[in-house]
Amino acid sequence: MKKLLLTTAAAAALALAFASAPSRAAQWDGADDLPTSPLACGTGANPAPAAKPYDGGKAVNAPNLAGKEITVVDIPKLIGIGYFNATSKGIQEAAKELGNVKATTDGPTEAKIDEQIKFIDNYITRGVNGILFAANDPVAIAPVLKKALSKGIHVIGYDANSTPDAREWFVNQAQFNGIAKSMMDSMAKEIGEDGSFAIVTSTFTTPNQARWIAEMHAYADKCHPKMKWLETVEAQEDNVMSFNQATTLINKYGDKLKGIFGMTSVATPASAEAVSKAKLCGKVAVVGLATPNAMKPYVHSDCVKSVVLWNPVDLGYAAMEVMRAVVDGKLKAGDTEVTAGKLGKLQVVNGSEILLGAPFVFDKGNIDKFDF
Amino acid sequence: MNRYLKRHETILAAILVLALIGLGYLNDQFLTFDNLLNQGRLMTEIGLIALPMTFVIVTGGIDLSVGAIVGLCAIVLGVSWKNWGLPLPLAIVVALGVGALAGFCNGLVITRLKAPPLIVTIATLALYRGLAEGISKARSVRGYPDWFYELGQGQALGVPTQLWILGLCIVIAGVALDRTSFGRTLYAIGANETAARFSALAVDRVKLIVYTLSGLMSGLSAFVLVSRVTTTRSDMGLGYELDVIAAVVLGGASIFGGSGTIWGTVIGLVMIQLLKNGLALTGVKGDATIMVIGVVLIASVLIASSLERRRE
Repeated sequence: MKKLLLTTAAAAALALAFASAPSRAAQWDGADDLPTSPLACGTGANPAPAAKPYDGGKAVNAPNLAGKEITVVDIPKLIGIGYFNATSKGIQEAAKELGNVKATTDGPTEAKIDEQIKFIDNYITRGVNGILFAANDPVAIAPVLKKALSKGIHVIGYDANSTPDAREWFVNQAQFNGIAKSMMDSMAKEIGEDGSFAIVTSTFTTPNQARWIAEMHAYADKCHPKMKWLETVEAQEDNVMSFNQATTLINKYGDKLKGIFGMTSVATPASAEAVSKAKLCGKVAVVGLATPNAMKPYVHSDCVKSVVLWNPVDLGYAAMEVMRAVVDGKLKAGDTEVTAGKLGKLQVVNGSEILLGAPFVFDKGNIDKFDF
Repeated sequence: MNRYLKRHETILAAILVLALIGLGYLNDQFLTFDNLLNQGRLMTEIGLIALPMTFVIVTGGIDLSVGAIVGLCAIVLGVSWKNWGLPLPLAIVVALGVGALAGFCNGLVITRLKAPPLIVTIATLALYRGLAEGISKARSVRGYPDWFYELGQGQALGVPTQLWILGLCIVIAGVALDRTSFGRTLYAIGANETAARFSALAVDRVKLIVYTLSGLMSGLSAFVLVSRVTTTRSDMGLGYELDVIAAVVLGGASIFGGSGTIWGTVIGLVMIQLLKNGLALTGVKGDATIMVIGVVLIASVLIASSLERRRE
């Protein structure tokens, strides 16, 4: 028995050592460690990004299907949530307009990378002409996408990127530094230049959120140096968990907490709900990424002033248009823009990315014009 | 001969063959050499853990922490190489060691405190997953050298590398369970633990070995998984325990202990993997596939048990 107690104590000590070992990181928790490129402060002009040569991959010996009917499968991070239903809707809209595309959406019911890999693998075996994807992990998804390219299947990403050489193009809903700037500027406007804030994210490893947080940190250091980051908490895109985490933040920091960032379309409304329930509307600001429908009640009750997002239907639409343009040979390495149906001309940035546009800030004045 | 035909494994194998023929008939990409080998690659990680899980379940226990151990070992592998500066081969050994240690701790608590394995491993599931997230600080590790991917993505003699390892492990586990006194002891413990103790069998020591094996194989599975997907994340292996247990139980092992074979587990494993793949290739969508799998699981267990009852 004594031996057991000793073992347990040793194990506990070990666990503690592990848990406390990571020294206070210079980074905000939940940020990744890739290089950042914060935009200019305020409304200052941004330097034009340096033109980068095409760095995407290439489908090997892809059959020439210009103008012919193609089969395209869309494999988002997961299926059955509002956001990816909206992108899927956009893909269908574009397919219908084009008239020569058969598009289906399929994918895992949970955002798990190994499940997603299996889905892509199966569709490669089945034989499709094109794959649209939103990656659960940028590196882990790369081998299977390269396999698709090697079999002559066109691969286009949207929403969440892979490593560039594993796909041909990536439709970027909004550049990370653009979102970060909108978020930090909106927060600074609401809580002042010396306010303290906390962040509710999905998990520390989710690529988009990690990128945004890293860029927010870089932009805050540059343009809002006195604002203070308190903590980042994980809530896994889960409603109840997000609400609980936000409530914990409110209780833990009390008056010190002036604002909460919601990094996911689940965390933002849940944080707003937590602030409303705590009767702190006006005292604790909520700024975040969210779909307008979920935020309408809080925006109308003045609890939330700004919601940052892009239009996911347009995102899916653009991805499908880009796929068709690639198959038809209308978008080639080195091009600087592409025509995407009703969206008009979209700009190529960053070597092999297509930019959907600047992020959109919803507020009381415009939110009722949107329904998704 | 007749007795042999009515065994659960035989019936299950027959159902598997029927399902294969059916799915092969429905689409012509399914029964190709390439596809089947590829599916073998994808099922290796679950398969490696299903073998020791069969041992655990035969003794009447359960190990729910295997998925968390996969996550922990993957993280230890990545972090000890990248952040602690160990050479990669040593990091692999360390990861396997951590897996074995994690399993050993499970076994220790289960045998010394006489706590139910279900409760102990639910607790360690949370503990190990938490450790994985703490150690990794939730960052992923990437950029392994090319030779490291050989195991997960390469092939030897035309067969995916990891499938050789799985095959070897299956043979060893099969012989160990069926032909050795160690295997007999497992059945004895599962059938009646008290009787086993009175028969002077080293019940606690054998259990300790079995849970340690379970941890070690989870570590091996983590190594294969990291090599296949080229990256390390703390959420790796999430939910593996359910896939593993489903394969073992479908293979005829009784959750109350005392029965189950490696062959049954292998058939159960292959059946679930090929059904998922076959349905996907036939055009059944992701959410529907899960439902069909559930129905098939229930149906095959029902058929098998009703046939068995008739025999009795």
